[in-house]
Amino acid sequence: MDSFRKKFIEEAAELIDKLEVSLLELEKSPNDEALIQQVFRVMHTLKGNSAMFGFDLIDSFTHNLETIYDMIRNGQLEVSKDILNITFSSVDHLKAMLDEQNYEDPDFKTVHNGLMGKINRIINPSNAETEAESAKSSNEKSESLSTYYILFEPNENIFKNGTNPLYLLDELCSLGEHKVFAHFNRLPGIKEITPNLCYTYWEVLLTTDQDVNAIHDVFIFVESDSKLEIQKLAEENLLADKLFVEEVSQLAEVQKDVGLVTIQRLATKAAARINKEKAKQFTKERIATKDKTAASIRVSSDKLDHLMNLVSELVTTQARLSLFAEQTNVPGLAPIVENVHKLTRQLRDIAFSIVLIPIENLFGRFQRLVRDLSAELHKEVDFIVEGADTELDKTIIENLSDPLMHIIRNSMDHGIEDARVRIANGKPAKGKIHLKAFYSGASVIIQVSDDGAGIDPEIIHAKAISKGLVPSDKKMSKKEILDLIFLPGFSTAKKVTDVSGRGVGMDVVKKKISDIRGEVEVESEVGKGTTITIKLPLTLSIIDGLLVSIDSSPFVIPLSSIDKIYAVDKESIYSSFNNLVTLDGTQIPFFSLRKEFNLQPSNEELEQVVVVNFEDNRVGLVVDYVIGEYQAVLKPLGKHYKSHDIFSGATILGDGTVALVMDTNKIIKMFATSK
Amino acid sequence: MDTENKNQIKSYLTFKLGNEEFAAHVSKVLNILEMTPITKVPKAPDYLKGVINLRGAVLPVIDTRIKFGMPETEYTNNTCIIVLDIDVDGESVHVGAIVDSVQAVLEIDNSQIMPLPTLGSRYKSEFIIGMAKVEERFIIILNMDAIFSVDEITSIVDSNQSVAEGTDAQQ
Repeated sequence: MDSFRKKFIEEAAELIDKLEVSLLELEKSPNDEALIQQVFRVMHTLKGNSAMFGFDLIDSFTHNLETIYDMIRNGQLEVSKDILNITFSSVDHLKAMLDEQNYEDPDFKTVHNGLMGKINRIINPSNAETEAESAKSSNEKSESLSTYYILFEPNENIFKNGTNPLYLLDELCSLGEHKVFAHFNRLPGIKEITPNLCYTYWEVLLTTDQDVNAIHDVFIFVESDSKLEIQKLAEENLLADKLFVEEVSQLAEVQKDVGLVTIQRLATKAAARINKEKAKQFTKERIATKDKTAASIRVSSDKLDHLMNLVSELVTTQARLSLFAEQTNVPGLAPIVENVHKLTRQLRDIAFSIVLIPIENLFGRFQRLVRDLSAELHKEVDFIVEGADTELDKTIIENLSDPLMHIIRNSMDHGIEDARVRIANGKPAKGKIHLKAFYSGASVIIQVSDDGAGIDPEIIHAKAISKGLVPSDKKMSKKEILDLIFLPGFSTAKKVTDVSGRGVGMDVVKKKISDIRGEVEVESEVGKGTTITIKLPLTLSIIDGLLVSIDSSPFVIPLSSIDKIYAVDKESIYSSFNNLVTLDGTQIPFFSLRKEFNLQPSNEELEQVVVVNFEDNRVGLVVDYVIGEYQAVLKPLGKHYKSHDIFSGATILGDGTVALVMDTNKIIKMFATSK
Repeated sequence: MDTENKNQIKSYLTFKLGNEEFAAHVSKVLNILEMTPITKVPKAPDYLKGVINLRGAVLPVIDTRIKFGMPETEYTNNTCIIVLDIDVDGESVHVGAIVDSVQAVLEIDNSQIMPLPTLGSRYKSEFIIGMAKVEERFIIILNMDAIFSVDEITSIVDSNQSVAEGTDAQQ
């Protein structure tokens, strides 16, 4: 059962994300029926799932929420800012409900009850006018709708009792959807008319979920001396059938009264039509859901990992087969091997594309963030998203969320100016933030640009000097200065705001992005805006690396962290006392990997120093040989090596041997601390 | 294979470390490999011998002797890697265990498995399922999940006792 619950939570989280996205779109176009339908459907699925897995609280909560959208769907309510705000809070609350198992928490209860109250108020507003409306709506919604025919011929002397028949009709009409036909054909000529007599009579078609007694109740005081006929026509909402209403109205105009018999005949026809329509709709809905299930399926990531393993194994085997075919020269073998080669390559490409998911979900979250922030900061902002269908490795997308959120917060908080300032500077009052994702070679570029104030390099420079981050006499290019914002301990916010000044700076953004082997760059033009560009690898499972060998074992160093490679003679390495080597005129600290890995010193006269970037410093790693560039399929080392994180994984070379992939940051950190 | 089926199978793979004969339930054993070159992982604990390429996946290999607190020996032609499917907190983890030699697959009935004598036992009880007497030999049946899921080096030998080493006599 637990695994089912887990699955439910997973699925529910996805549904809630989807809901949020749809809601944001709905906010933009509140009258889009397709969107309303979509919101309703997602809620409905969520409700159904939670009921099935025993999440009763979520079930009842979504049920009420769903009711609102059902009413909107049926046109009894309009999408309003109020409703949307409540729905957004509800979405947050639903997320909390999924995370938090402790429903007894008093804070949680307050939020829950508060929201429930608000939702109920929307569903059942207290003022009378909307009550009638909602009564009407509940008729339409309820399954037990019936249509009645009512003929009301008041006694001529009805006015003498002080009764106004129109009031009775009003009351009758409040029971549900209605169509009233007034007949004046008994009205005498103007000369014969007696003003205090009632000549008019009415025929009413009423669709209601109340029973016939409720209708009788309306006429309770006049029933005895008036002519009253009440007849159930069908257990359907006949008034929803336009043809029927039209036919009856036409008859009512030409004839003095339509008469029960005629109406009944029309009613049977209409009821048949409605039933047919319903059946059609039902099958349509079923077809729609069927289509949906076929479009995508759910696969556990374990299976995908397995598939990836098999595919890489196949690729390795295929390489060996090709080599073998070349050597043996058996007639007819070459074309077969070539075919296998082609198929393997296609298979590999498809397998890799499976683990990529569109960045859409992530971007949806930011829509929400911008919406909330623009309310909080009172800044109107157009948030434009481009390239949401760009695909990235799932792990990268997960790790991208925080840094991107921070960048967007910064743009909202510091970048975009107040409307007044913007107008004074000749910009449109509404700010613009552009989030864009696109492919560039084997990487994905994500750009956040705003048309805000931009970053003034002079202020940055002055600030960096005052903080002692750079020497005051150093000449720096604009790019160098802008890059200073990525230094730890640098924050330009004038005051600590709720939005961005949380002690987390751009340095953390940079670190997080380099953790997923990405790069960040900033460009800015004072008064025009700032663009932050993130460059990411397509997937975490393939890396560009440098294959090196140490004591005849192969190792891979990620190319992204490598700065330069030097050949240095052995003497200058082994005679160095303070582990510093002079390369290109600068002294660089180095570590001999042979020594650090507790291996014997090598006999070679020349050693290779691979200089890597480590936290803004350059550090040399001494290896025996540099073999060359290598595209490595990264594989985990397994649970037993979990605490041993100086290697981020291993890769299998063409000849089947295993090469370890170094995490240079962690290796250097470990060596530095062990000194 | 579900648990019920597993319990019904009475087959055990036996292997030797020195003169001592051990057994592991066959449901835990995925594969037996000949000794292959192992890629060492620098800076890792001694008993973690390194990793090998198991049909495209990277498999960590553990020297069972070191793990069991026995002295290391040279690898011989008989040295094998048993690929085990270990259950670590409900997750299936594959690991290779280097043993001196693999013996046979034996049918051992549950009734043949005796609990370890509490007194004078050399082994810690949490790692041992029991002992079986087959053809006048005593075979120690191991709890592979418990032995290989622990991160630190675990001596399955009770610290008060010591394992009688007969490896040299065998060779």
